[in-house]
Amino acid sequence: MSKLKERLMKKEFVVTSEIGPPKGVNIDGPMEDAEIFKDSVTAVNVTDNQSAVMRIGSLAMCHLLKQKGIEPVYQVVTRDRNRIALQSDLLSAWVLGIENVLCLTGDHSSLGDHQECKTVYDLDSVQLVKTVTGLNEGHDLAGNELDGKPDFFHGAVVTPEYDPVELQIIKMKKKIDAGAQFFQTQAVYDVKAFENFMSKINDFNVPVMAGIVVLKSAGMAKYMNENVAGVFVPDDIIEEMAATPKQDRKKKAAEISARIVRELKPLCQGIHIMPLGWDDTVPDIIGQSDLA
Amino acid sequence: MHATIQKPLEEILDTLKKGEKVFVVGCSNCAAKCHSGGEEETKFMAQRLKREGVAVTGWAAPPNGGSLCKLSIAEKMLNEDNAEATKKADSFLVLSCGQGIHTVIDATEGGYVHPGCDTTFGGETVSEDYITEFCSLCGECIVETTGGLCPLTLCPKGLLNGPCGGSKNGKCEVDSDQDCGWQLIYERLKQIGKLDSLYEYREPKNYAKWSKPRSIQIESNRATFKSLAGMHTVEQK
Repeated sequence: MSKLKERLMKKEFVVTSEIGPPKGVNIDGPMEDAEIFKDSVTAVNVTDNQSAVMRIGSLAMCHLLKQKGIEPVYQVVTRDRNRIALQSDLLSAWVLGIENVLCLTGDHSSLGDHQECKTVYDLDSVQLVKTVTGLNEGHDLAGNELDGKPDFFHGAVVTPEYDPVELQIIKMKKKIDAGAQFFQTQAVYDVKAFENFMSKINDFNVPVMAGIVVLKSAGMAKYMNENVAGVFVPDDIIEEMAATPKQDRKKKAAEISARIVRELKPLCQGIHIMPLGWDDTVPDIIGQSDLA
Repeated sequence: MHATIQKPLEEILDTLKKGEKVFVVGCSNCAAKCHSGGEEETKFMAQRLKREGVAVTGWAAPPNGGSLCKLSIAEKMLNEDNAEATKKADSFLVLSCGQGIHTVIDATEGGYVHPGCDTTFGGETVSEDYITEFCSLCGECIVETTGGLCPLTLCPKGLLNGPCGGSKNGKCEVDSDQDCGWQLIYERLKQIGKLDSLYEYREPKNYAKWSKPRSIQIESNRATFKSLAGMHTVEQK
């Protein structure tokens, strides 16, 4: 059983973070990042061609993390591969010792760097969750029996500050019914809004890990508020960041994140930190979050 | 309707060899509505080609709003009504959808064709000046559960079980001017009191019904749809 599963099942408060594979075969950067926070987190997610930008595959990077003794969470999006490729890659992941899977739809390819590609979306994220559940049960999506079955700990994502939130809650329920065993959320900055969301899904009885995106500047906050779905940075945080001199921003970013984590802790079962390159803030955030 | 948009003149001229004799063919149905290949545009294309020094043997579009993609119409127009001019031509510049282009090959028993339009989608003529798509011609209609709105068409990802997390203020992540398809479905289902259907799991689509090329065989009281999903016959009883 993966450590992530074990700890979430034991109702422990769990921390994960993530690395993004590089474009090109120089993997030093992300591997060093993972080393920086490996002792502070339970598992490390590897994004799957994030932002629809072509990079090294999540599967290979998960394997390399595993070799280093770091537990990976294999992120799988349905944008680029049909049901044959998705299932094949999942079985491949299992034989390489990868146990955690996060099922996503993925940003549309028109937002990435290969905008003329044939976009796939053979499955949606709910169907992908159900597909993994099926593999765990010993059959593929066509109903064929597997010779040896995996036992993935598979989860999905939800956007708490989506409007109308009812649509996200309905989809979250469908993902749970399809077999999702844990959830990660879009970035949370407004703890009150998150609390409100959590009160609506109380009876779902599934571990939810709140997303923490390390805020690098007031400009980034404004950009996200205008352009990123389901992300709302409150004005007081933007002002706090704006009043911080450039050289102190990393420290301030960790401080703000840790403050949010402390407030979120009673509301959920863990946090997933997305450092977006400021990987060295992860141990700092965890250190200041009173998690022990 | 098959929506089309004319290719730029320079692109069309690039496909014509020096001295090539061309007959220009239009369609008086869909291409006429799209102003890409009706009688007026076909005649104008012939004039523009002549002005550019192309040897144009003639031009024609079906009479009475006829569709070029009906083989009998294309045959009469090309082999009877305009037989003299088409016989002189080395090739046909076709201002219609891709179906019409192939109909010209069939009608002329293997004639050489140049596409003069890009075929874009199957659409609804919302008004005389606006055509947009609500159907992707997938071979398996699923809109019973989505209030008549097709998620495969209105959502760029074609998601069947609800919206992704990417829409903001009801607009799609791929284009902030475009409505989120699932937002439209949600509002529609709310309006008709069928919101419950959003909770039902939708299986992955049978894309074998969207295989290419597909056909329909029509008999007096029955029709058979053929795709890689097999033969599907329905009788009118």
